[in-house]
Amino acid sequence: MGDYALLYILFAPFVGALALIFVSNRQAMLVRGIAAGSAFVSLIASIYLFYAYDPVRGGFQFVQKFEWSRQLGISLYLGVDGIGTPLVLASSILLFAGIFVSWHVKDRMKEFYIWILILAAATIGVFMSLDLFFLYFFYEMSVIPMYLLLGMWGSHTKKYLEMTDAEGLKQRDSVGFIFNFGSNSKEYAAMKLVLFLSAFAVAALMGILLIYKYSGLNTFDILVLREQAHLMNIPVLGTTLDKIIWVLIFFGFASIAPLWPLHSWSPVGHAAAPAATSMLHAGVLMKLGHFSIIRVAFEILPETTHEMMPMAAVLCMFSIIYGGFVAFYAKDTKYVIGYSSSSHMGYVFLGMAALDYISLSGAVIYMFAHAMATGMLFAMAGWVYDQTHTRDIPSLGGLSNKMPFISGCFVVGCMASIGMPGTVNFIAEVMIIVGSWNKYPFQVVVAVLGIVLTLAYLFKMMRGLFYGPMDQKYSHSHDAVSAVDRLPLLIMISVSVGFGLFPMHLYNVVRSGVDPLIARITHVVPVASAPAIDSPSPSVQEQLAARGVQLQPERMTE
Amino acid sequence: MNFELNMSLSDLLLLLPEIVLTVWLCLVLIADFAFPRLPKEQLAYFSIAGLVATLGCLTWLDISNITGTLFANMYVLDRMALFFKMFIVGASILVILASIEYVQKFAFFRGEYYFLIVMSALGMMFMASANDLLSLFVTLEFSTFGFYVLVAYLRDDVASNEAGLKFFILGVFAAGLLAYGISLVYGETGKLVFSDMTSAQPTPGLIIGFLLIFAALGFKIGAVPFHSWIPDTYHGSPTPVTAFLSIAPKGAAFAILLRMFFVALASFKPMWVVLLAATSVLSMTYANIVAIAQKNIKRLLAYSGIAQIGNVLIGLAAGTKMSNDAILFYLLTYLFANIGAFAVIIAVSHAIGSEEIDDYSGLNRRSPFLAFSMLLFLLSLAGVPPLAGFIGKLYIFVAAIKEGLYTLITVGLINIVISMYYYLIVVKKMYIAEPNDPTPITISTPLKVVVYISLAGTLLIGIYPQPFIDWVVSATMMFSHIGAPASTMIPPASPFGG
Repeated sequence: MGDYALLYILFAPFVGALALIFVSNRQAMLVRGIAAGSAFVSLIASIYLFYAYDPVRGGFQFVQKFEWSRQLGISLYLGVDGIGTPLVLASSILLFAGIFVSWHVKDRMKEFYIWILILAAATIGVFMSLDLFFLYFFYEMSVIPMYLLLGMWGSHTKKYLEMTDAEGLKQRDSVGFIFNFGSNSKEYAAMKLVLFLSAFAVAALMGILLIYKYSGLNTFDILVLREQAHLMNIPVLGTTLDKIIWVLIFFGFASIAPLWPLHSWSPVGHAAAPAATSMLHAGVLMKLGHFSIIRVAFEILPETTHEMMPMAAVLCMFSIIYGGFVAFYAKDTKYVIGYSSSSHMGYVFLGMAALDYISLSGAVIYMFAHAMATGMLFAMAGWVYDQTHTRDIPSLGGLSNKMPFISGCFVVGCMASIGMPGTVNFIAEVMIIVGSWNKYPFQVVVAVLGIVLTLAYLFKMMRGLFYGPMDQKYSHSHDAVSAVDRLPLLIMISVSVGFGLFPMHLYNVVRSGVDPLIARITHVVPVASAPAIDSPSPSVQEQLAARGVQLQPERMTE
Repeated sequence: MNFELNMSLSDLLLLLPEIVLTVWLCLVLIADFAFPRLPKEQLAYFSIAGLVATLGCLTWLDISNITGTLFANMYVLDRMALFFKMFIVGASILVILASIEYVQKFAFFRGEYYFLIVMSALGMMFMASANDLLSLFVTLEFSTFGFYVLVAYLRDDVASNEAGLKFFILGVFAAGLLAYGISLVYGETGKLVFSDMTSAQPTPGLIIGFLLIFAALGFKIGAVPFHSWIPDTYHGSPTPVTAFLSIAPKGAAFAILLRMFFVALASFKPMWVVLLAATSVLSMTYANIVAIAQKNIKRLLAYSGIAQIGNVLIGLAAGTKMSNDAILFYLLTYLFANIGAFAVIIAVSHAIGSEEIDDYSGLNRRSPFLAFSMLLFLLSLAGVPPLAGFIGKLYIFVAAIKEGLYTLITVGLINIVISMYYYLIVVKKMYIAEPNDPTPITISTPLKVVVYISLAGTLLIGIYPQPFIDWVVSATMMFSHIGAPASTMIPPASPFGG
């Protein structure tokens, strides 16, 4: 495999989806086999990628470039750095786990797997794109499968079917249901998700087009643009062009992250989605936002990023606290996890906003960690829903007798989500908090309060689901006993705990991606902290010297 | 003026595709009359054979790079004309294939139907070569003539009669405007050939004349505010005719618009940019908003077509060689998505006898193939990657942003989101709603072929557009001198960086 690892990772799911078109829905095992097989190829290749990535050398590795359109200056330019590598790994782990989580989908199973595979492949495509056009291409491509997955296999929120509007019509039948914000239907959730994300995606596209025009290079190549695009100090509409582009890119991509106040599509979407889709959605789709901001705004507009990022530090506090409080009061399992996700994404923004070596590495590791933790929680919420056909926490309870394995895993999932030592989330949280303390002490205090809130709502949900008295109507529900049902949870738990105990390689990989980026933005030398990176790698120094940047020693943060 | 008709055999070569098609057209009519027992299906395949032969001639001319002008510059055969001719002939082939099953609904004149389709195609082929105002008028009327009959082909259907009447009255009105505009322009300049007018001065008479010509062409392409015939005509016409009407005349009209704006009016660019920008914004915004309320799939596609034309007009407003390529490319993507969508509509309405969006409920359960195809065609129209429509839209936007048309692009981008809503409503019906009647829908072979070709085009152009981009770029070589960047909205210190 070697050099072509990225192509295997990206195209195995596409090939799987294509093969599934020609298989009949009646051959259930064959359909599952093809889906699992293509996800497995992708998984193996991304594990190889993760361990073959050389953190000492850093930079973009496994680069593949195919010219796609001469006239437009587009090429299929793939490559991963230390930031993309763990996220590619997280995506393929979640895809593989998601295939098994949705093993028991009965209705139109083939189509389900086709859309899941396309969704995951498009997500992976974003994480390895080095071309602005393809970044947007894959980004937008991941939105439409969400619509179909939510609409076709999703579920309505409680009491939806009894709801009627003033004229006695079922709300889902009214033409203007998009304006009906009280609606709880899956159609509403799906439509809201697509329109919301597309609306902000076109803002990002406008930013991309402005970069394309004002760079004057006739290329969408991120590496060329970051070296040669001169977008600073062009006065426009009373401000400067780079700020306009930055705002378009930042908010365009932050909507999927989702940063408060652009989050409202997200919990609704989580609640309506089937388990595997929620996993991919919360696990990796939301990280497309942070990743694209890092890849586009941080790489191409470093000075503007330095100037504008404090705004994110303000908004992330609202994300953390607002998401946490709503999660505490929500009564629907998926709403709790959904709001907890959007609250936790605030930590990533805090880590990014501080523009510090430690905190940004923490943010990237947190994305990886959160993918595992929230993936577990959604998988188990999905299992509970399949067994009990309700997500209403007050009406559930005492399920630990019926499903000891699930409730055991749920405890681990909650621990991971809170950031207990021993899980990779702990490392990430500590890095974010330590790294951003110097710059944003107030936000750090808020973030720590957020951890307390996380503890409160997750334990509250855990108690509501698994302990206390059980309603007799759930007595028929059973545990995950077969290997197929247990496998996805075990994979995610072992990844989370494994990297929690042995985080060094992950840390080195992430640092190798973060170092040159932060050095470009802040012009400060990283503190020698990782064994693999004793001094700024030559490439960083060369890069900065070429730009005439003076390096200053970093303040000690610890 | 002194017209000399000195034609040699090599000049006739330039007319070869038209001659082939004219002869074939007569053969189709003769065959229909001489063999009344002949199944009309075979007449359809016979017409297709003629169109394929014409396509072969066009391809040969394109490959051997034969170009030139005829009849004192009235008729031009360049690579752009060849592109549009192939476009029109290709569309006609697909439409005839899609009609075969539908034609059985007609009580009378089944044979003439194919004759009329091919005749309209022939008229539009001439239109793609029109190089002066007279040939513009003659070819435009020639091509519309067949449509007047075709639109009203369902004699017993009130909607079809209404469609025919509306189309006829407004079409004749547009022809009147066109003739008046031509007379004004000729009166002011004393010239008819586009390339002779480049040095004309912008006198009021000339401006009014060109505005009238633009109104007539705007009627053909269905841009707001000349669009009022479109929804009713699309709704009432036989569906294959709607498919034909929604794509081929637009291609032919854009051939003329490109020649007119890029050759005759090249020096007036600052004036027509505003005109086109206004038309474009109105078309996109109005059509997309009205489309949301549609209950009939053909009306929905009618409004969507108006909005698509608004997108193409962004490219026309940019007015460079690159935007010219983008227009051709966009029309190509629109051809496949649109004809494919109409083919699905024909198949579905043949099975369920309805064109209401509500009756598409649960199409995914009744025919996964049709639902999936429709999904891809609609998403291509909406501009979702990796489908052709996305590349088409992006190409237009890239061409326009190089000219600094920020407002137009912003409106275009916002309209993508609006249009996504009503396309997704159809998707919601097809995929999410449950069917009222779960019987599977079968689809006839010729229609299947049309859907397959359209799917292949939509996916191929979306995933690997380079050969198609090369094609359109070489097709507009004669405009390569146009396009000095003229940024007006944002006066930058230096637009091309440090």
